[in-house]
Amino acid sequence: MFEKEVNPDNIQKAEFIVAIPSYNEADSIAYPVQQADQGIASFFGHMKSVIINCDNNSQDGTKEIFLGIKTDTPKIYISTEPGIKGKGNNFKNLFQKIVDLEAKGVVVVDADLKSITPQWIKNLGEPLFQDFGYVAPLYVRHKYDGTITNSIAYPLTRSLYGRRVRQPIGGDFGFSGKLAQTYLQNDTWTDAVSNFGIDIWMTTIAMNENTPICQAFMGRPKIHRAKDPGSDLGPMFRQVLGTIFELMINFHPFWSNVKWSKPTAIFGFGLGETEMPPPVNVNKEVLLEKFQEGFSLYSHIWEKVLQKGANNKLQEIRKMDQEQFDFPTNLWIKILIDFIIAYRDKLWNRDELLDSLIPIYMSKTLSFVKKTERMSIRESEEFIEEECTQFEAAKNLLIQRWNNGKAA
Amino acid sequence: MAKILVVDDEEHIRLLYSEELSEAGYEVITAADGYKLIEKIEEQKPDVVILDIKMIDYNGLDLLQKIRNKFYNMPVILCTAYDTFKEDIKSIAADFYVIKSFDLTELKNKISMALDASIPSS
Repeated sequence: MFEKEVNPDNIQKAEFIVAIPSYNEADSIAYPVQQADQGIASFFGHMKSVIINCDNNSQDGTKEIFLGIKTDTPKIYISTEPGIKGKGNNFKNLFQKIVDLEAKGVVVVDADLKSITPQWIKNLGEPLFQDFGYVAPLYVRHKYDGTITNSIAYPLTRSLYGRRVRQPIGGDFGFSGKLAQTYLQNDTWTDAVSNFGIDIWMTTIAMNENTPICQAFMGRPKIHRAKDPGSDLGPMFRQVLGTIFELMINFHPFWSNVKWSKPTAIFGFGLGETEMPPPVNVNKEVLLEKFQEGFSLYSHIWEKVLQKGANNKLQEIRKMDQEQFDFPTNLWIKILIDFIIAYRDKLWNRDELLDSLIPIYMSKTLSFVKKTERMSIRESEEFIEEECTQFEAAKNLLIQRWNNGKAA
Repeated sequence: MAKILVVDDEEHIRLLYSEELSEAGYEVITAADGYKLIEKIEEQKPDVVILDIKMIDYNGLDLLQKIRNKFYNMPVILCTAYDTFKEDIKSIAADFYVIKSFDLTELKNKISMALDASIPSS
């Protein structure tokens, strides 16, 4: 039977919330709930707190598992209407609940987390009761986990909005009740935001609101259901990129005035030795194959969207075998700029346009894998930082192209 | 005129930076250690802090954390003779870092980038 809300303890007010969004997470949700409960007891015991599961009306028993876990902290289950899916839709419900409960601080953690500890709740939550309005996670991830973050979301967001937030789509973060109100009232909501676009949307809005942002050091790596970057990522890629591009249109007056980037405060040191993440296997053959397939599927779009030089370069790269494969960062940046302008000018159906970027992204990922395969995680981080510098240096080119109007 | 605070326990480095950066048109103030650094920043209101990482009595990365927590947007450039400091995650709270050298071209570039960095009010 569908229930929009289950609030067994009839909680009407709460200062602190830990929220866990889910869709069919019956197998995994118990662990983060237990860790959140311990974290609340250890570090927020003096506050009126609640754990909320915001769900997409899962049919696998997520609700029953969540409500059945024995916790000291009261729990509330809320759900979207039957048939309404998407992580962003869960958050919309959550924002309203935060406002209703008049909460001061909220921590969100993924339901499939296997490495969460009670300390994560402290580190993501405590800064919200100091001077910060948004807390992004900082964890050691395997160099091939989070390739959309590494190649696009981090460098692009950093160069656009001037804040260095290493995990802008980390999935685990904290925000103030005040910011929840801002999110609820913001009019840039789209279908993509209703789904996987929600994380980058929240981070970008926080930056545009000049919310004091800090990064919380988690100490342990994020261990969850990591995906091979070569596997099917269509919807997520479309929704994250679509949200970034859409927000660029809305927030042009802000980002066009940002020069270079600034670091953010770091919270939560002293957690002992940092644990290394488990390996993520990448299938290089699949990445190369998908890039090659892209020519037959999308070259008609690329010809229309890309500037001539970039198109010629792609043709050169097409001839490379896996051994010699190299995709220069500056070419990647120029291609992204071409796609940004094409998206803005609606030069092609936007979903198809974003899909057509996937094979090029695959080739950039292959090049990253090849360049960093002998590097340690720290060295690959330095490599990404160097790429970010190139993104920031290309900002003038982006502004020029943006101001000059129509695409290629 | 932009004001630069140089924090370094080596006197010759403070002298070199003072001379060269003054010639480049900056007002330079110095500190030989991290003692009461936060108070000094509050009092002197520098536009950029240049911070040595390895000082005899102070760890520059710990000082960086203190600066960052108190002065959210204060540009800080880390100076070091070695790049092993990057193994410490705290180093990411710096705006830039430079390897110590008698040629200050790189440092001057970073100062100018730090001064140029701006984030508009929403």
